Amino acid sequence: MVSFSARGWRALVGRLLLPVSGVALAALLWSMTSLSVPELPSPWKTWQESRVYLLHPLEKRGEMDQGIGLFAYYSLVRVAKGFLLGILIATPLGLMLGISSTLHRMFDPVMQILRPISPLAWLPLGLVLFRKTEPAAMFAIAVCSMWPTVVNAAAGVRAIPQEYWNVGKVLRLSRFTMFTKIVIPATLPYIFTGYRLSLGIAWLVIVASEMLTGTPGVGGFLWQEYNSLIYAHILLAILTIGVIGFALDRLMRMAESRLRAI
Amino acid sequence: MAFIEVSGISKAFAAKESVRHVLDDVTLSIEQGEFVAIIGFMGCGKSTLLNIVAGLLEADAGEVRIGGERLRGIPKGASIVFQNYSLLPWFSAIENVRLAVASAFPAWSRARQEAQSRRHLEIVGLGNAIHRRPSQLSGGMRQRVAIARAFATEPDIMLLDEPFGALDALTRANLQEELAQLCSAADRPVTAIIITNSVEEALLLSDRIVPMTRGPRATLGSPIAVAMPKPRTAVQLAHDQDAQRVRADIVEWLAAYVQHSRKTPRRQALATQREQGISPVLSRSET
Repeated sequence: MVSFSARGWRALVGRLLLPVSGVALAALLWSMTSLSVPELPSPWKTWQESRVYLLHPLEKRGEMDQGIGLFAYYSLVRVAKGFLLGILIATPLGLMLGISSTLHRMFDPVMQILRPISPLAWLPLGLVLFRKTEPAAMFAIAVCSMWPTVVNAAAGVRAIPQEYWNVGKVLRLSRFTMFTKIVIPATLPYIFTGYRLSLGIAWLVIVASEMLTGTPGVGGFLWQEYNSLIYAHILLAILTIGVIGFALDRLMRMAESRLRAI
Repeated sequence: MAFIEVSGISKAFAAKESVRHVLDDVTLSIEQGEFVAIIGFMGCGKSTLLNIVAGLLEADAGEVRIGGERLRGIPKGASIVFQNYSLLPWFSAIENVRLAVASAFPAWSRARQEAQSRRHLEIVGLGNAIHRRPSQLSGGMRQRVAIARAFATEPDIMLLDEPFGALDALTRANLQEELAQLCSAADRPVTAIIITNSVEEALLLSDRIVPMTRGPRATLGSPIAVAMPKPRTAVQLAHDQDAQRVRADIVEWLAAYVQHSRKTPRRQALATQREQGISPVLSRSET
């Protein structure tokens, strides 16, 4: 038998009961709306029509008729490629902009102009440049998701206390040692915050790019089911996107807090 | 010519819409192997002076010569201990020390660098905490790591910027005596400058005490020699006649500035006071 103290109960309520009732309320609101809007499937109807996708998540019945697990997998692989490409460019770029104020002043306007461009605007350019949908999607993801990493890495370098620079000078560290032993470790928490934000953006971009190119994935599935007028599947895709995005963010937060614990 | 020659150093910082003159025409010579304490009030410019000698700051006027050569950048063979320890938090104690050793002796094997680092951590009594990160060490232990790091590079010059300022009184007393022993035990002459606001610390460690006037436009007073044999202990200093005389001299000198610093120019104030035979009241000799 587990007996709860008052504090234990309060923690249980705070951690579990409140979030669960929040979700329940949202579902209730959804059901109510679906009563008055006939086009919107109710939660129950969504579940009924989506069962086959959820219960057999890895079944492949056709190019655009696969388990939700497979669709999510395709999307995640695409995101991983684009995201990795993005941070491979963004991390050194951000560090450089942080170290050199000349470079920062030079490229800051360019960055500020490129940053707010929507993935929907980059994708056609990617298609023109690469002529294939996969590299075009990677390009759009990379170019959209890199900015938080650039900005955070640069801010991280600028936030290194004078104290650490002085240690490096006093110990007569070489430029290389200074970089690997001081700049990188001091900036790492900032860089990881950048990675987390970048991954969030990459996940936003993937849906848009799949919808535009019609490639198999969560976004592609969503668009196809819209065209086939199966609205319950739209909701399934939307919820899947949300849950995966949330999970990715949580994972990155865990990695981040490990780094900060140092 | 002395080993370290500081001549005519002036330094000002630009503040909002004004210029803050911190140092004005500071001159000081230090012989090889000498331990000099610069004592003064908080914020009078002591650290600025040390940072200039350490090559971390550039003076507006004047020059620093070490071994006859004009100082450019960080002096070779110098170690600096800062008040805030300045350890790298992502490295363990031994990694912090080894970073300095590796940089000072790049030709050594990794094992030898490691052994040197370990030995110096053992000397400061941290033999069983070498793998701890700074965040897992107390303030006193952190400063011990910093001192081990400074000595592990086998420096000819030690620059200490209020090294014990952030420590509690008991820890401070221990570390002061340990530092005194380390300096005396070295197999080569170590020339040292310590910045402090504690008369006792200066007495315990130094051959010569140089008082500094209060800023702005701080400058150095005439040095007071401390002739007692080293290493000294706090107990010994409490009753020693020489120590009492030196203590009185410094306290008097510093107190003279406190009383007249706002109204009259400093040099005059001191002169007037001496003429009138006022015995200065100790109000802020130790902060």
